[in-house]
Amino acid sequence: MRISTSQIFDAGTLGIQNGQSGLYKLQNQLSTGRRVLTPQDDPVAAAQALVVTQTRGVNQQHMDNQGQAKSQLGLVDSQLSSLVNVLQVVRERVVQAGNTGTLSQSDRAAIATELQSRLSEIVGIANSDNGVGEYLFSGYKGNVRPFAVDGSALVVPPATTKPVAYFGDDGERLLQVSSSRQMAVSAAGSDVFMNVKQGNGTFVTGTGGNTAGGINQGAASVDAGSVQDPQKWQAAINSFGWVAPTNPALQVRFSVAAGVTSYQLYDVSGAPVAISSSTPYVSGQAISMASTNPPAATVTDFGSQMIVQGQPANNDTFTIMPSTKQSLFQTMQNLIGILTSPIGSSTYTSTQFSNDLSAELTNLDQSFANIARVQVQVGTKLQEIDSLGSASSDLDIQYQATLSGLQDLDYAKAISDFMSQQMNLEAAQKSFAQVSGLSLFNYL
Amino acid sequence: MGTGLLSSAISGMQGAQIALQTAQHNITNQNTPGFNRQRTVQTTNIAMLTGAGFIGQGSHVSTVDRMYDSFLGNQVNSAQTTSSELSTYYTQIAQIDNMLADPNSGLSPALQSFFTGVQQVAANPAQLPSRQAMTSSAQSLVARFQGIEARLSQMYEDVNTQLSTEVATVNSYAKQIAELNQSIVIAQSSINQPANDLLDQRDQLVSELNKLIKVTTTTNSDGSFNVFFGTGQQLVVGAQVMTMTAKPSTADPSRFAVGLGNAGGNQELPESLITGGSIGGLLKFRSESLDRTANDLGRNAASLALTFNAQQALGQDLLGQSTGDTNFASDFFKISSPTVLSNSRNTSGAVLTATLAAPSIDGRYTLANVAGTYSLTRQSDGSVWSGASLAALQTTVQAALPANELLVLTGATVAAGSSTQVLSSAADSANFYTKLTNSDYRLSYDGTNHTLTRLTDGKQWATNASALPPKTFADLSAEVAGSDGFSFALVGAMNAGESFVIRPVAEAARNLVVNPTVAGDARLIAAGMPIRTTTALTNSGSGKISAGEAFSGFSATSLPAAGITLTYASGTGLLTLTGVPAGANISVTVGGNTTVYPGPTVPYSSGTQISFAGVSFEINGILSNGDSFSIVKNTAGVSDGRNALALGSLQTQNTMSGKTASFQTAYAQLVSDVGNKTRQIAVTGEAQLALLKQSQAARESLSGVNLDEEAANLIRYQQAYQASAKSLQIGTNLFDTLLGIMS
Repeated sequence: MRISTSQIFDAGTLGIQNGQSGLYKLQNQLSTGRRVLTPQDDPVAAAQALVVTQTRGVNQQHMDNQGQAKSQLGLVDSQLSSLVNVLQVVRERVVQAGNTGTLSQSDRAAIATELQSRLSEIVGIANSDNGVGEYLFSGYKGNVRPFAVDGSALVVPPATTKPVAYFGDDGERLLQVSSSRQMAVSAAGSDVFMNVKQGNGTFVTGTGGNTAGGINQGAASVDAGSVQDPQKWQAAINSFGWVAPTNPALQVRFSVAAGVTSYQLYDVSGAPVAISSSTPYVSGQAISMASTNPPAATVTDFGSQMIVQGQPANNDTFTIMPSTKQSLFQTMQNLIGILTSPIGSSTYTSTQFSNDLSAELTNLDQSFANIARVQVQVGTKLQEIDSLGSASSDLDIQYQATLSGLQDLDYAKAISDFMSQQMNLEAAQKSFAQVSGLSLFNYL
Repeated sequence: MGTGLLSSAISGMQGAQIALQTAQHNITNQNTPGFNRQRTVQTTNIAMLTGAGFIGQGSHVSTVDRMYDSFLGNQVNSAQTTSSELSTYYTQIAQIDNMLADPNSGLSPALQSFFTGVQQVAANPAQLPSRQAMTSSAQSLVARFQGIEARLSQMYEDVNTQLSTEVATVNSYAKQIAELNQSIVIAQSSINQPANDLLDQRDQLVSELNKLIKVTTTTNSDGSFNVFFGTGQQLVVGAQVMTMTAKPSTADPSRFAVGLGNAGGNQELPESLITGGSIGGLLKFRSESLDRTANDLGRNAASLALTFNAQQALGQDLLGQSTGDTNFASDFFKISSPTVLSNSRNTSGAVLTATLAAPSIDGRYTLANVAGTYSLTRQSDGSVWSGASLAALQTTVQAALPANELLVLTGATVAAGSSTQVLSSAADSANFYTKLTNSDYRLSYDGTNHTLTRLTDGKQWATNASALPPKTFADLSAEVAGSDGFSFALVGAMNAGESFVIRPVAEAARNLVVNPTVAGDARLIAAGMPIRTTTALTNSGSGKISAGEAFSGFSATSLPAAGITLTYASGTGLLTLTGVPAGANISVTVGGNTTVYPGPTVPYSSGTQISFAGVSFEINGILSNGDSFSIVKNTAGVSDGRNALALGSLQTQNTMSGKTASFQTAYAQLVSDVGNKTRQIAVTGEAQLALLKQSQAARESLSGVNLDEEAANLIRYQQAYQASAKSLQIGTNLFDTLLGIMS
């Protein structure tokens, strides 16, 4: 084939240029450590790398959020712990106050004074903030002080002070702690302090007063009662259509005639109606709540029972109401009210005092249980965060590995390519120098 | 005899001299572009007839040939025009490729840091610093969009500028070719010999022209060239030259179009006619890659703004304001309306406006009563359902419809034997996702029907004046709004043949801004939800109500000041809703089945989801008689970050292309497409370059100058000259001998 002189030069420069551009690219890859310099080098990997980078960024955001959630929940947890400590002291005092035999009225007043200061302490805990000026227990209303004595509300006996009202809401502050989990990192004050069921959690027992007027005159006391079959209870109260707390539901009426004490169940949601036949009373024996026919038209079993101990007087009554909610503050205020009431008179007997005190003690235990429930929730969430955190860290490493696989350079291969490219270039340069030096004119 | 020797020797010397000159010409022109090596063609002179036969009379140079093969030349030209088209395309698209590649300057990091800002607000909605961090990260995201868009705009400008200069060069080449045509005709006609160097120059100009645009040539009998491009558009005919122009297009003045100047002014040529060369490369780059990139970026910007705004509008800001309140900022971002360009040849004065629209449902149904049996026909696809009663039909239909479509049949009146039209409504009538495409559209009118064409793939929608009922312009707009995310309206009537170009998202990235009101007051970010739920403390059941959320359709009127109360009655098992806005239907979903009730009572079972008037919540658990819940305004809910969480989750939701891509995957798709295209162009370009090198080598092999060859020729002709000179000397000696005898 005939070769023109310019072909020799063109081919030489082309070879050198190719060698140089190859070296330039390899050098760029080596100096940045990236295999994919621009998307055209590997369009699929470039696009995947973008998506994985975002996924990794989102995962890191979740890790940040987990940190936030942990500190928020930690704050809630420590406040709840101090609350439990306070309540333990309160409970000891209340149990102590029940000892009517050894304590004088002034002793009880002293305990009441202590409970008053414990109440302030609890209100203080309930109004604590999260360190950046938002109240911990106010729901969404972070800037609203959640608990304060409500001046407008009426005093409810036996409490002697105005009730502490809740000004927050039921909102739970949420954080996105993983791609599929929004975690509540606050507990609403209503849930912790207000949302406490009275009595045994299903119904509340109490003295109903003597039907002849005044308080119960006997020495009978009632326990909190218990539910044997919650479904029967639910069905029964639904069929009675009671609306708590406007009307009490059920009453046990005692009658003492000719030395025989017997009791009868009454539906007192409207005008009192007897719904069971008269049954002889044995102290300490369970009174099961069920209507009988006659006198009621149908037999309704409430699936529950209560125990009355001691000798009731004629016409003494005990009531059973479906539980509603009573705040921890209300319970505290009630306790203070009970402890400051003088006992021993016919208007406030020692039995009445014991009945009232044990009812409120049950309510206090309900508060305990409620706070324990919230604490367990918080603790479970903290545990969950730990496991989410380790999952997120694993994912982060995984994403990093994926990213590295997508765009990082294989140095060993790149360096060996670089060497071979360098050799190519040197060969092209050397051969070009020699070929271009060949000319017939040299010999003329 | 002596004179014969002399003349023959002189002819030999002359021949050698010419050959030497030609070799010298070759040597000096070895680097002249387009030069083809020449060689002399020597022929014997006519021999003298004598009794002894024919006696040679020396030689003469009959012509000087150029070593040229038009086939090889055409091959080089054709390879050249494709190669320079690809290399121009590559130079341009590599700029986009490089811009998208940078891990720090691309869109991704800005998008990520913006959503980090959103998450911070979700974590600390009451904290002003976190809100301000979100607005500033939003502003840097916007700046990133604008920055990338500005570089793309600059590239549009660059394409215009380059088109102008290159078209000017084409014109100058065309003029030179015409002039050379003239010179060649004159030169060749006088002596009937090829004007080699002029021909070389002209071939070279054609080759240069091919670098700019693909042209073809034909040779006339007088030796002049005609030059054509496209499908036979004349550029040069003999000595005549047409003027090629690069002027703002009639459809879109911001882009230059190539045309031909003629007596009637300027005739714009369709881009499909212009192929090859750098002009072809520029046009192809602009229509294939630059438009695509700009529209993709705009689509991303528009989708981000629309979906973010739709969610922001459902929230409540730090001041407690929500939709319907005077100072509530329902937009977080502001974007521009679609660009509509009226063709500059339009004369009717009709004005077309376009608006970005939320995806909608074509909810037209025909409800017929045939002898007490009801049947329902969906007009868009002809699906039919039937039922013995309206309520039964309602249940059947609602189960078949997508979750976001709501059709209420109860209350419809249709007499036996007749039919009526009922319309369904979309549960999410706002932009919770977009259906925008990365295409531009052209609306044209043929005098009877309007046709909208999607320019990327040629899909068409048209009105139909002859259908029953006729498909109107408004129907067309609604149809496109449902499928492609924008609607349009016409003021005035178009004349036949007029057209508009609609670019729904072309300028979205440029005009995207953070709503200045929000940017100025970060408290207006709607981080909370406007509603919250409460459980009455008096409840004795275990029922729980979810936190509740506002969805599309929520407004300040959805909630009365006293809130909405739900009370359970154990006797009937019904929940009574008090305070629901008049006329609002209550949808109750249990286990995925939705039933619509007119209110105010709905049945309850655990897990019931209830929604009405843009409010939705769920109740779980066992209720006791008289248990009540309420939904109230989220007054003072500054620590509520529920809406900010919803805003944050937009990052990973499929909010684009009809719920098939997230912002990031759509952007990654763009990067991948540009990368693939760049790679494709680079690879094809390399292959084409190799082809060009091969054809150039083939041509060079024939036409190129080899200095060694010329050196040999120099020696050869020098020796020929010396030999002829020696003959002359001998001739002279012979003559002298003769004269010596005489003296």
